[in-house]
Amino acid sequence: MGFHIVVCIKSVILAAPEEKVLRTEDSTALNPFDRPVLEAAIRLKEVHGGHVTAVTMGPEASLSALLEARAFGVDREILICDPTLAGSDTLATSTALGAGLQKLSPFDLVLFGVRTADSDTGQVGPQTSVRLGIPFISMVQSIKWQKGTFRVKRVADHFVEEYEVPSPVALTIHPRAFAPRDLALSGIGQAFRSDRIERWSVADLGLSADMVGDAGSPTRVLSMKRIKETKKCEFLKGDAREQAEELMKRLSESGAIGA
Amino acid sequence: MNSILSEKHRIVRRSVRSFCEREIRPIAAEIDREARFPWEVVEKMGKLGYFGIQAPRELGGADLDSLSYAIIVEEISRASGSLGLCVTVHNSVALYPILSFGSQAQRERWATPLARGEKIGAFCLTEPNAGSDASGIEATAVSDGDAYVVNANKVFVTNGGVADICLLFLKTNPSVDPREISVVVAERGTPGFVVGDLEDLCGMRANPVSSIRLYDSRVPLENLLGQEGMGLKIGLATLDTGRMGIAAQAVGIAQAALEEGILYAQQRRQFKVPLSKHQAIQMMIADMGTLVEASRLMTYRAAAIRDSGKRFSQESAMAKLFASEACCKVTDLAVQIHGGYGYSKSYPVERYYRDARVTRIYEGSSEVHRMVIARGVMGKK
Repeated sequence: MGFHIVVCIKSVILAAPEEKVLRTEDSTALNPFDRPVLEAAIRLKEVHGGHVTAVTMGPEASLSALLEARAFGVDREILICDPTLAGSDTLATSTALGAGLQKLSPFDLVLFGVRTADSDTGQVGPQTSVRLGIPFISMVQSIKWQKGTFRVKRVADHFVEEYEVPSPVALTIHPRAFAPRDLALSGIGQAFRSDRIERWSVADLGLSADMVGDAGSPTRVLSMKRIKETKKCEFLKGDAREQAEELMKRLSESGAIGA
Repeated sequence: MNSILSEKHRIVRRSVRSFCEREIRPIAAEIDREARFPWEVVEKMGKLGYFGIQAPRELGGADLDSLSYAIIVEEISRASGSLGLCVTVHNSVALYPILSFGSQAQRERWATPLARGEKIGAFCLTEPNAGSDASGIEATAVSDGDAYVVNANKVFVTNGGVADICLLFLKTNPSVDPREISVVVAERGTPGFVVGDLEDLCGMRANPVSSIRLYDSRVPLENLLGQEGMGLKIGLATLDTGRMGIAAQAVGIAQAALEEGILYAQQRRQFKVPLSKHQAIQMMIADMGTLVEASRLMTYRAAAIRDSGKRFSQESAMAKLFASEACCKVTDLAVQIHGGYGYSKSYPVERYYRDARVTRIYEGSSEVHRMVIARGVMGKK
């Protein structure tokens, strides 16, 4: 059987000089947490057949994330792009993505990265699955299809949980679970040879302007400031054994290593 | 710099850099030290299309443009000059002439395995008595029935120790016209085809540079590339592309040296402050940054002109001359910033310094480039 897998990806901001967020082709790139997601989707397609659709929401500059997804082997790309989407918080984003996914239905899997490198909320995946009313599992390590259901494993606090879920299901993919492949140069060449990226507006999604963007966002970012990191160097006292014990104690207390 | 590149070129750079950081950079010092050709990495590069960057898709290539090619060579060279050399020579002076001057049958037979990285290519021009002066070539191919009888002693063949498909510049029928130079393709394994000892080089040590000799070797007549007497034409067309590749290689090595120089200047403290706070070091880093950027612009411009289908001999020669000399200057400054440690094998800058030196020599020395450029500049008036 073949799956329809939808991958929701984001073009993230690499740098915000002078604390101003400006999305241009130079300043954005595919969210690194989305690469394992694309890898998971392509591996499932290689085993089970079917097709993969990549969706992103953002300005024109986000096109690059979709083109990179295409070089990965994605079959269809959709850019949800509309001036009224500007200022969307995670809830408004999930409203728009949810509407886009409904338009793409039927699908078997919706995959998200666990978080984004530029805002780091981790909310869009879970919120979108609530919008769609489908089951959701986070930080997924493996996905198998057995006897008409998905068997999904996730690791949390030193335990492996295994779930059995019907299709369709939404998942966020653990960043280290699926090491992304290197892009073949021929894939990159081919990705840029044709221009077939679909663009959907808010109206295409059947939404009104007040449901998305600033108007549809209950949260506001009031300010953004760079954190100044300071480093302090401390020399531990005592002989080597005492120093090692003190170091172990501190690392353990800080939670960096297990007790 | 990024703003003149398209999104495609940025993705090419990102993906190649990511591969090089993971697969090549960690072994670069070791393969240099052991003078080892890293087949395990080369095979992966072949699968990703690094050996057929501009070859058409139907022949197994990636069908990318020259600007992508320059970026890829730059990025590989940033990690390892030796592997950058392998890729640029294979693509631009072995595969490219077969694509440009080969018959359909020759393209299918040689270009396909070359583009897939299943076979490695080499360009055999230099001889003990011929290099910058190609007319001094002594290698011969005398037709005898259905084959040429080839005798050749080719030296300093990049990729020589691993090459399967070698383009030989030689004199066909020397008794009729001793000036006639042609290109004949000889495959490893042909009786009489001998790979000489590997050269013990100052830099580029992971590339198996060797001599290649043919003793009364019978090479089929259909292995002639183009027509008899086309050797100089093929050589000149090929070297335009090759020089752009060497320029890109020099940019990559210089970029690596610049990054190491900055890193060390920020870490090493003297007179209670990091080296980077000393104006003398800042001046060096400013010069290094400027030289790298200028080299890159000249190289990308040559590539872009080639992509537009126009003649780019002059731009390619200028880029190669400038980038190779800049690379020597930049790597020298990187060693200087490192002080005594820069002269030791504990840091990578000594390798960059050694690798840089040959970029001013091969595929046309700086002096030959100045001759070519002077002719072009004066002719333009």
